[in-house]
Amino acid sequence: MSNISESSILLSVQNLEVSYGPVQVLWGVTLSVRKGHVVSIIGSNGAGKSTTLNAILGVRKVGRGQIVFKQEDIVRQPPHERVKRHMTLVPEGRQLWPKMTVEDNLLMGAFPSTLRKDAVPNLSRVYDIFPRLKERRSQLAGTLSGGEQQMCAIGRGLMAEPELLMLDEPSLGLAPKIVDEIFEFVRNISREGVTILMVAQNVNYALRISQYAYLMETGKITLDGPSEKLLADDYVQEAYLGST
Amino acid sequence: MTLIEFVNLLASALLLAGIYAVMSVGMTVIYGVMKIVNLAHAGFMMLGAYLALELFERFRIDPILAALLVFPVMFVVGRVLHWLLVRRLPTSDQPTLASLLLMFGLWLVLQNLGYFIWGNADRSIYTSHTLSLLRFGAVTISTVRLVVFGAAVACMVALHLILNHTWFGRSVRALIQNRYAGQIVGVDDQKTASITFGLGIGFAGLAGALLASLYSFNPDFGRPFLIRAFVIIVLGGLESVSGVAIGAFVLAFVETFGILFVPAGYQLALSYGLLVVVLIFLPGGVAALTAKVRRLA
Ligand SMILES: Nc1ncnc2c1ncn2[C@@H]1O[C@H](COP(=O)(O)OP(=O)(O)OP(=O)(O)O)[C@@H](O)[C@H]1O
Ligand SMILES: [Mg+2]
Repeated sequence: MSNISESSILLSVQNLEVSYGPVQVLWGVTLSVRKGHVVSIIGSNGAGKSTTLNAILGVRKVGRGQIVFKQEDIVRQPPHERVKRHMTLVPEGRQLWPKMTVEDNLLMGAFPSTLRKDAVPNLSRVYDIFPRLKERRSQLAGTLSGGEQQMCAIGRGLMAEPELLMLDEPSLGLAPKIVDEIFEFVRNISREGVTILMVAQNVNYALRISQYAYLMETGKITLDGPSEKLLADDYVQEAYLGST
Repeated sequence: MTLIEFVNLLASALLLAGIYAVMSVGMTVIYGVMKIVNLAHAGFMMLGAYLALELFERFRIDPILAALLVFPVMFVVGRVLHWLLVRRLPTSDQPTLASLLLMFGLWLVLQNLGYFIWGNADRSIYTSHTLSLLRFGAVTISTVRLVVFGAAVACMVALHLILNHTWFGRSVRALIQNRYAGQIVGVDDQKTASITFGLGIGFAGLAGALLASLYSFNPDFGRPFLIRAFVIIVLGGLESVSGVAIGAFVLAFVETFGILFVPAGYQLALSYGLLVVVLIFLPGGVAALTAKVRRLA
């Protein structure tokens, strides 16, 4: 019984503590992500959402806590080992290489040695999802529009055939129409079976496309539950959806 | 100045540019990836020069071939030093005092090692080709200079191809442009840094070994070239091999044609002057200038 439910958990984070120098910003974050779900983390600026995702990928050093991915404790593994295990992050602010072509940016998403052999088929898969990137494949990434850059960043995140795709504020700074598009992509990617852990300041959207959600405040999870429950929650309504 | 004189000067500027480029590119890749100013660059050039000399004197290996052999040796030296010392420096997106001190200390150690092993006498590599000249119509070129130029250009082209068409090269460019993004996609930045450091030291040694065919040297060899490398890097930027090539050509051009206006002894002052002028008026280097021109067009 417990085995079945355990194996349906793709990622489980226990009591995560992270500090920047002497300043502790995560105070025992615990969360888990079920296979196939879209899970969102909401919370105000500076709550520690990006830090959480960076720690899960391993680009932020963890002080204490446990990160179990596919039943394996990965907390001591370097980021490239985690990417090899098909965990990827589409970071806040896209973080492309502005003076590399779109295609090179995408290819870099399959950098770890075990992923390279499938780089070419995965590239054409990404081009199928984002035809606009194909048109601009030999253009420098720095010359893309904001929306295209976000697509490129997501495409790069798909190059490692993610089982867990983490998205950090994928809609930040984009026009409403592009935001719709991005969330539509997220939904489609999820339908293809990719598990998604998403941070979004667009709380309304995030809660509508995710099945489960966590509310993070000053480095702690203060509320969690099925997304529709959070959507209906008075406190969330008042503090994050701006209704009175 | 007659046209023939002009063409001759142009040819020597071009040949000089090749040497300057190969001499600077090692510093550039190390700075780009690791944000370390390799103040020991001259020391590794000096080691390369002596290694070429030893290969030539002991084993009668052609000095140009010796230079190519020096490259893998210095590559290994670089990787060992990275493993022993450099990797212990804190990673940073800016040059740190610790890295400057380490590299400066390393230079002093290398220099003194040079004095210890080879003494302070000036040495040079002298072959039957050293004084031979080639004539192309009215243009006269030293054979050795031309061969050295060819070797330098070939090595630059090889590096360019590696940087632009291999996974390793992509990872180098990625770390130069955005280290965090590199880590996210699973670039092992320590490993890339180690190989890059090896390449940088390898190119320093190669440049020194090539220069040994042209100039006499002692354990203090390379000091004036270090300053030139700074100028070239500031001019050409850190993005690409072609940037270095452009920077090298500008400097070589200014120095070569500068002879017409200032005494030869002031050549280094000219490089310094160029550095100051560029830093004041064109802090982004040639790349910033071309971008500006493109925007205006
Ligand atoms: N590199 C850093 N050095 C020092 N402190 C940092 C650093 N990055 C983040 N912090 C601090 O850590 C805390 C959490 O930051 P984090 O970026 O994780 O928040 P966030 O929830 O993603 O916020 P936002 O919604 O603004 O993206 C903040 O107080 C921030 O100031
Ligand atoms: Mg954030």
